[in-house]
Amino acid sequence: MGDTPTNDLAVQVRGLTRAFGVRKALNDVSFELPRGAFLSIFGPNGAGKTTLARVLTTLLNPSSGTATILGFDVVTEAVELRHRIGLISHNPLLYPDLTAEENLLFFAEMYALDNPKERVSELLADVELDHRRLDVVGTFSRGMLQRLSIARALLHKPDVLFLDEPYSGLDPHAMDILDGLIAQIRGDHTFVMISHDLDKGLELCSHALILAAGKVVLFESRDQIDVPTFRETYRATVGSGVA
Amino acid sequence: MAKSNSWRQFKAILRKDLVMELRTKEMVTSMGLYALLTMVVYQIALAEAGDSFDVRLVMPGLIWVAFIFMSMLGLNRSFVHEKDQGCIDALLLSPVDRPVIFFAKFAGNLLFLLVVEVLSLPVFSFLFLQGREGFGNPIWMIGVVLFGASVGISGVGTLLATMTVNTKGKDVMLAVLFVPLMYPLLRAAVGATFAAVIGGPGTVETFWLFMAWVAGFDVIMVLVAYGLYEFVIGV
Amino acid sequence: MKRNPLAEIMLGLGGLLTTAAFFMAFFWAPGTVYPDGRIDFAQKIFYFHVPVAEASFLVFIFTAYYGIKFLMTRKRIYDTKARIATEVTLFFVLLTMATGILWTRVEWGVWWLWEPRLTTYFILTLLVIAYFVLRNSVEDEEKRAVYASAFGILAFIDAPISFFITRWLNSIHPVVFAGGEGSGLETSMLITFIVAQVGMLMLGYAFYQLRLREEELTERLEALKIEIGD
Repeated sequence: MGDTPTNDLAVQVRGLTRAFGVRKALNDVSFELPRGAFLSIFGPNGAGKTTLARVLTTLLNPSSGTATILGFDVVTEAVELRHRIGLISHNPLLYPDLTAEENLLFFAEMYALDNPKERVSELLADVELDHRRLDVVGTFSRGMLQRLSIARALLHKPDVLFLDEPYSGLDPHAMDILDGLIAQIRGDHTFVMISHDLDKGLELCSHALILAAGKVVLFESRDQIDVPTFRETYRATVGSGVA
Repeated sequence: MAKSNSWRQFKAILRKDLVMELRTKEMVTSMGLYALLTMVVYQIALAEAGDSFDVRLVMPGLIWVAFIFMSMLGLNRSFVHEKDQGCIDALLLSPVDRPVIFFAKFAGNLLFLLVVEVLSLPVFSFLFLQGREGFGNPIWMIGVVLFGASVGISGVGTLLATMTVNTKGKDVMLAVLFVPLMYPLLRAAVGATFAAVIGGPGTVETFWLFMAWVAGFDVIMVLVAYGLYEFVIGV
Repeated sequence: MKRNPLAEIMLGLGGLLTTAAFFMAFFWAPGTVYPDGRIDFAQKIFYFHVPVAEASFLVFIFTAYYGIKFLMTRKRIYDTKARIATEVTLFFVLLTMATGILWTRVEWGVWWLWEPRLTTYFILTLLVIAYFVLRNSVEDEEKRAVYASAFGILAFIDAPISFFITRWLNSIHPVVFAGGEGSGLETSMLITFIVAQVGMLMLGYAFYQLRLREEELTERLEALKIEIGD
């Protein structure tokens, strides 16, 4: 498990294709992302964003092509890789019938952490849910759920964080809190975010990728991006790209 | 290290399901209620038959009908929890071997099923067998059948419920897949229960022959379910 | 898409053989005789019923075989093959049930009897139907294929267990090929049976291949549509 990553690329994707029969959810996707970067992936519904994220997080296997995260292959080194990635989704991915603490302790066990209790208390304090630790998660507000799900994603100190439309369904206050938390951990993590929200995605990102019908339409770093042209490209895909 | 991690993960999943169940009592209550309702239906079904026949003759069939349908309620619930909030993704994202999930879910389902079976059997006897002849063979033999058949029910059921939770009309779907697959197991379980209840010369041998069928089914089908689990949970 | 001449030959030959077997059954093979001297005409259905039943079991093997292949490779074609094998199985299973019921009525005086082998066949019918119900209730194509493969494999292993347990529970269904004293057939009956059986298997093969070709054409059409759509 202690293998050192082979290079300083956080994400390396080569010719990634995910197909079933004739339908291609991902079609020859390639890109590279340096460590510490923040990638925003845009695209219309059905463009393959979720499939791409599921392949990169080892939940789906590609049909062909390769993807490595931190030098670990998503297929052959999935278990090692899972120790190093985390997911924050618009779904909280928490059990509503368990308390905040029980939820985190459960996932701490799944990651076989050394000092689960300390780590959980530490994180509950970080996301300011200390006072609600013994409350059942089903009673939490949307914002609290999101904070707790961030704590869940950070439990095992992952290096790469995947964000699946994390802002959807949040009220402005909860959005501010999420912004704050992302800013706080931004320095030492690589982020891959799926987003519908062009403004938010562009504001945060260091790299941007537009996906349409399973193909990469555009991949640029933030300083290359000319915002009006980018918007135009994005709009064009939304009109045409639904596979 | 991997081995002890798997054991930790197994315990964590099982403990989580137990804590949730103790808190909500969803599965045990719905299964228990279902068992009681079935008994009311049985009372109606047997009403016109009067006292002229020995209820023990049909009892093994009646209890397994109740148990097989009851088990499906629990099996469905056990994956609805995982699916509702997308928790299954968080679970799959963690470095856990897929068979660990299978065995933990299997163990939890088996436990809940056995609890309800053990609770509802005395109620059945209380309602239907009072004033009649007792069991012909020692009562622990019933326990053996309950355990043996419940292993097969939970093992195959865990695999099927993992699939049907992702289908349209999941409750009906589980029944459609589950009942025909369970035929040999149920047939053997009813045979063994019958031998245990009626008693008399030769019934102990018959009992163990039927139990051999139950055990054979358990071993083969649970192994197949285990082998298929990784494929089914990964899509 | 190339045609499959073998399938067409098999279709013709299978049709010919099963028809020939039909005539042989009535005009050549001696009927079994009742104790009172009447010839047992109902027995003639044996030349149709048993070949169909055995064909259904044989084709069902391919459901499991291609199911395993699909799970190993995730190639859609294997799922298609498994599905078509199951379709052919369903066809044969329904024919077996229909002929079986007719025979039961004549020979045992009732349409249906919860006799072990009938029960097993009933279970098999339900399993094959369940396979298609499952397919219809999963939206995602790949999920559908994985679930159907898994269920096909489970059903394939379950069916023989059902068969053996019911057989063990003292079948009263005639066991023609069990071996031992008094079993077996006269030569002319055996030849008729073999002709019918071989013909039926050829038909099974032809149905399978022709359905597969049809399916491949449909998939190609779908692919072309997607290409044009781009």
